[in-house]
Amino acid sequence: MSDPILSHHQGGDSSSGGDPSVSIDASVRLPVLMLFGNALHWLLIGSLISLIASIKLSFPGFLSGVSFLGYGRLVEMARDLFLYGWASQAAIAAGIWLMARFCERPLGGVILRTLITSAVVLWNLAVLLGTLAIMAGYSTGIEWLEYPGWASAILLISFLLIGIWVVCLFDRRAGAASGARAEAALWYLVAGFCCFPWVYGTANLLLVWKPIAASAQGAVQGWFCNGFLLLWLLPVSLGALYGLLPRLHGRHLSHRNLAPLGFWLLILLGGWSGLGRLIGGPIPAWMCSAGIVAGVMLLIPVLIAVINLSASGRGSTSGPCVAAGFLGSGLSLLLAAAILGACLSLPGVSAFARFTSLTASGDLLWLFGAVSFPLFGVLYLAIPPMLGRDGWHRTLSDLHYWLAFSGLCLMSALLVLDGLVAGLALLDPVVSFLNITSFMQPFHVLECAVWLFLLLPSALIVTVHFTGALASGFLFPKK
Amino acid sequence: MHRLPTLLTGILLVFLTSWSGVVAYSALELGRLTPVPDADSGASLPPNLRGDAIAGQRVYASEGCIACHSQQVRQTSVTGTDIARGWGARPSVARDYLRDSSAFLGSVRLGQDLSNVGVRRPDAAWHYRHLYAPSLECEGSVMPSFRHLFQVCKIQGERSTEALDLQGADAPKPGYEVVPTAEAKNLVAYLLSLRQDYPLPEAPLKNGAKGAAK
Repeated sequence: MSDPILSHHQGGDSSSGGDPSVSIDASVRLPVLMLFGNALHWLLIGSLISLIASIKLSFPGFLSGVSFLGYGRLVEMARDLFLYGWASQAAIAAGIWLMARFCERPLGGVILRTLITSAVVLWNLAVLLGTLAIMAGYSTGIEWLEYPGWASAILLISFLLIGIWVVCLFDRRAGAASGARAEAALWYLVAGFCCFPWVYGTANLLLVWKPIAASAQGAVQGWFCNGFLLLWLLPVSLGALYGLLPRLHGRHLSHRNLAPLGFWLLILLGGWSGLGRLIGGPIPAWMCSAGIVAGVMLLIPVLIAVINLSASGRGSTSGPCVAAGFLGSGLSLLLAAAILGACLSLPGVSAFARFTSLTASGDLLWLFGAVSFPLFGVLYLAIPPMLGRDGWHRTLSDLHYWLAFSGLCLMSALLVLDGLVAGLALLDPVVSFLNITSFMQPFHVLECAVWLFLLLPSALIVTVHFTGALASGFLFPKK
Repeated sequence: MHRLPTLLTGILLVFLTSWSGVVAYSALELGRLTPVPDADSGASLPPNLRGDAIAGQRVYASEGCIACHSQQVRQTSVTGTDIARGWGARPSVARDYLRDSSAFLGSVRLGQDLSNVGVRRPDAAWHYRHLYAPSLECEGSVMPSFRHLFQVCKIQGERSTEALDLQGADAPKPGYEVVPTAEAKNLVAYLLSLRQDYPLPEAPLKNGAKGAAK
């Protein structure tokens, strides 16, 4: 039986004429290529803005006095580009492609395709206008929700136009009518696509569109951050890991009876763990405790995912492709992110780690490690066949993988070190704040260098995809 | 878990726990806190904000101040360092934010905590000079300059009373003066309004701590 995912990549063993994956790919080709292509562009632009912000932090005189290039605005622009331009968009693309392939159902109908394609255009328009609005000083000032209300409304609407179809596909999958088991990857994809509108809609409603009293906003905002990471982005990347890793290595899930427990625990704890961002803050004490417990317990679903998948990642001898590299590292980075997250939720650690780069390193590992690496894996599997290629140039792909992986490791190590030093110094009230600031400057200069380094993998993958799309005639179809 | 309705119901119910526990509880309980009367003066606490301070919150949001500054003094059960650093006389509680349109709690401290900056720095002139050229007031500060919130004007007749007292490299050309725009005035009014130096039932001030946050 030909596998619904890998039939393109094991070219020989699938019958060439009636391969259903060809028609499935053809049906989702336009939205998936647009989503992934734009996501890569936003990733590059976000990295560039982060670099400028980082230079401004090290050398406050750089581009000084230009209102729309203020440090605060740049940081917000870059973060939202990473969240909404890159990660969310790549997750939507991965979700569409994985769901269609797993369910073995093409995206039917011209109207539906036009609708989804317009939703993709709308999404990118909202990201562009939201970014420009922050630049022009219309930020809401709420972390992770800086886009003005109208931009976030467009994002939500365009997501709904795509997401409903993805969720419905679950029931139309091959074998669904006869009550066949749905694999774990599908639960995660459905959960992610269900949670996004709920998490994003609730947070925007209560914080941006019709703000509740500010005394209640802190907890909602913390809940949103982790809900966005762990209930929307992470389930999609776990869907990719659960669906692809065992297939790539030709194995089954080990201890698969644990998988449902991991799934439900993640959905349960994802939102609660957001309160761990506010330990000691102006929320009731029981909320802090709930955040601490959830943050530590989050290790359980992650460990279950690692147990389920690690045996399938071991001892792959069939020359793993670069996608397998990204997916495998994604799993390791997921474990690293969960361990760091659990440590940061401990009150003793939070006492010095909160408000330092340690928090940033935690978010970096979730967003760029646990989420982005599996998404890159999907990208490497999905895009080349759609552009009529077997794969990208092997050396360039490997180079991208190593640059991205080493850049991320460097950045997280640097941020952890920065956070430890600053956090421990802040604990001692005798050391003045300005002293700490000047002591931390070398770290900030190093961070500039790593941001510069991180531009390389982004620029490389954008170039590779752009030239690939040009060569295939996707961008400028030959008449 | 193999039929869509079952799976969706399960996700809905499990998701509802954190949604109701965190979001609904916050909106219904924390959001309905009310100001309390001050035992001494009879005024309501937290104090009402002036109109220009409310407008200043908009400037605070649009300049992205939250990227570097937090506005919360943590509970002493977690760490005493915030109070020891002089960032407040008591921990912040939810009721403190009742008058704000947005709670700018913040998650980064590249700069100092601002929950009591109005107590620490009660002088508007200090804030204007600091916003215009941070290194004038804090040698070695990495805060960016907010010159775009100021105007350089030709002195017409007498020097404006609002003009900044600047010397050296930061001073304007002779015959010119630097005056704050309305945005800068609102922002400074907001910064001066940031003070949690009053007692609340759930966050009393220790004896003699009133006004001690320096």
